[in-house]
Amino acid sequence: MAGVGGGNDFQWCFSQVKGAIDEDVAEADIISTVEFNYSGDLLATGDKGGRVVIFQREQESKNRPLSRGEYNVYSTFQSHEPEFDYLKSLEIEEKINKIRWLPQQNAAHFLLSTNDKTIKLWKISERDKRAEGYNLKDEDGRLRDPFRITSLRVPVLMPMDLMVEASPRRIFANAHTYHINSISINSDHETYLSADDLRINLWHLEITDRSFNIVDIKPANMEELTEVITAAECHPHQCNVFVYSSSKGTIRLCDMRAAALCDRHSKFFEEPEDPSSRSFFSEIISSISDVKFSHSGRYMMTRDYLSVKVWDLNMENRPVETYQVHEYLRSKLCSLYENDCIFDKFECCWNGSDSAIMTGSYNNFFRMFDRNTRRDITLEASRENSKPRAMLKPRKVCTGGKRKKDEISVDSLDFNKKILHTAWHPKENVIAVAATNNLYIFQDKIN
Amino acid sequence: MEYKVEAHRIMSISLGKIYNSRVQRGGIKLHKNLLVSLVLRSARQVYLSDYYGGVCLNAQHIEAKEWELMDSEQEKLIPAVEDCSPDVGGSEATLATEEPTEAPDHSAQHHMVEVSVEGDQPCPETGDKGSEYCSPESVEGQDVSTTKDVTNEVACVTPRSSSSSHQSVKKQEEERPAECEPSATTSEITSDLHQSAKAHVCSTRKRSAEKSPANDSPLKRTKATSSNSTVPNSNNEEVEEMDTSNVSNLITIFGSSFSGLLSKDGAKPETEAGESDSGSGQICCDQMLKNLNPWSTAIVAF
Repeated sequence: MAGVGGGNDFQWCFSQVKGAIDEDVAEADIISTVEFNYSGDLLATGDKGGRVVIFQREQESKNRPLSRGEYNVYSTFQSHEPEFDYLKSLEIEEKINKIRWLPQQNAAHFLLSTNDKTIKLWKISERDKRAEGYNLKDEDGRLRDPFRITSLRVPVLMPMDLMVEASPRRIFANAHTYHINSISINSDHETYLSADDLRINLWHLEITDRSFNIVDIKPANMEELTEVITAAECHPHQCNVFVYSSSKGTIRLCDMRAAALCDRHSKFFEEPEDPSSRSFFSEIISSISDVKFSHSGRYMMTRDYLSVKVWDLNMENRPVETYQVHEYLRSKLCSLYENDCIFDKFECCWNGSDSAIMTGSYNNFFRMFDRNTRRDITLEASRENSKPRAMLKPRKVCTGGKRKKDEISVDSLDFNKKILHTAWHPKENVIAVAATNNLYIFQDKIN
Repeated sequence: MEYKVEAHRIMSISLGKIYNSRVQRGGIKLHKNLLVSLVLRSARQVYLSDYYGGVCLNAQHIEAKEWELMDSEQEKLIPAVEDCSPDVGGSEATLATEEPTEAPDHSAQHHMVEVSVEGDQPCPETGDKGSEYCSPESVEGQDVSTTKDVTNEVACVTPRSSSSSHQSVKKQEEERPAECEPSATTSEITSDLHQSAKAHVCSTRKRSAEKSPANDSPLKRTKATSSNSTVPNSNNEEVEEMDTSNVSNLITIFGSSFSGLLSKDGAKPETEAGESDSGSGQICCDQMLKNLNPWSTAIVAF
């Protein structure tokens, strides 16, 4: 039943939660990105401390039929360290902005992880055998005295406890003046793009000392700056096509065959603004925080502060679907501006069959929209609903007037508990939701 | 005015954010600072232009309410007409003297309002006490649909060509004939569209009438130069009344760190500051406000 249906045909149940229970959350533990690999067997998270933690799904075994593929820690490593740019007297945060998996080509797994300035290619490999019986050195590694060696001994591979090693294979540095916000691996599996606020670069995975600049929106006079790049993604099938979104709420689709520098877009997606809803903060809430192609490559989804929009690549003048995530916040924009919440960058994701989309909200709520039935559901990631296989109850926010039982009023929402990062298993109905420093995994209840 | 307090508050918050971004870990974030500077610019325009533009609320709704208010006031009082534009000739001046009596009552409610030419400015609307607004110049590319009987009417609209402004103008046209009849005044001004664009028909107190020519020149200068970079003098006095200490403090902090940038635009602020007799804090405030947009983006260029 791979990826059938969406939010409401299924019952979402709690599966696991990873992370500390402490009320005091260390800043370094805050999860900053979540990503399944292509098969869904591996789930990677990056945090503000520059660490990457990879979970692997247990093979379902006959011995434990009830543990339907739980995710356990597979590897943990420090991907990025804080750096200091001496020239500009700026500290470079080690926070992992994005992780993207490469398609698996051999026994090892590869992923790209990036902070604000540097992208690294990591190889995660297993070692479960060890060579023993070296001729020239002792078991503890010391070289044997050559005069003592009287016979030839060939090392033999012996099994050992599984060890997962992560090693940085490539470091792609010094190509971005501004903060990297996106990386995306091309469908050719050889190149990838990285985007910062004003430029997009195209890299080859094997070449670290050079990249091609394919988009540059930096104005000659910085005083004329009106928009920045907020996200970019390669098309899932067409290796010459990519899109990038802007802080003005527009998306540009570019074709790399057209020119070396793709400053001129091939398609321009923008929805005209509703003049009646203008406010001081209209520009902020129209800024797109995430853009994702559907798996089919026919649609793309954008997330701005209050809504998620699905666009058909063949229609530029408006989205085909718009879903309101938390419209009740529209009247609170001023306070959200004061407490900086209005700058939160929510992500969004598709399910495997593109029939449903998911995005996060505040109070540890996250929302799912079924594109076929047009139904939506609000769920909460909380420790209270953390009993194994406990069904998640739909939540509702009361926007005014009488508050019904089980509803939460807008004023009681906890804006410090925000779900910015979510991921959907590419084939099954398993979702990973990052709530500050905890990672929740939910599965649908089948069987 | 409430909106001024709100706009001022948003401005101080925005400046605070920009300041804090300099000391944040990871360096200045271009995207966030750009958004903050956009909010700051919008708030500043509302704050400086002395009207509650449709930026914050539904413009049409407000206008509808304003017109109702204005109607009721019109019925009670004979509207006084005084031409605010220094460009319009003597005929309007005589007009003013003809009907001075009710001017004081109206004047409190009427303000000079700057009609911004900036692209993203919404249609100006009447203030919250039934004030009318005047356009000091005929703004290019506008549908000036003021009618013949502009004289005794409160508001003369030169809106941007947008749907909401059209509706508001049409409303005024509807109101005007009805209100015109009781008070017979000269319609010399009215037929000439160009002239009527310049003729602000607003009732103002004599004091504010004196003020208005002063208003016009900075307003005109506002239009001549970049819309971001000038401050009308009249607003300096109002600014003084409000508590700007927070903003001034932040601005002096900025000012000291970005003195190079201030001096780049030094010619302009100095001429403007020269005319205002406010204190150094205000000058600093003005300078900052003028230089805000280039300055904030320059942070990032840095």
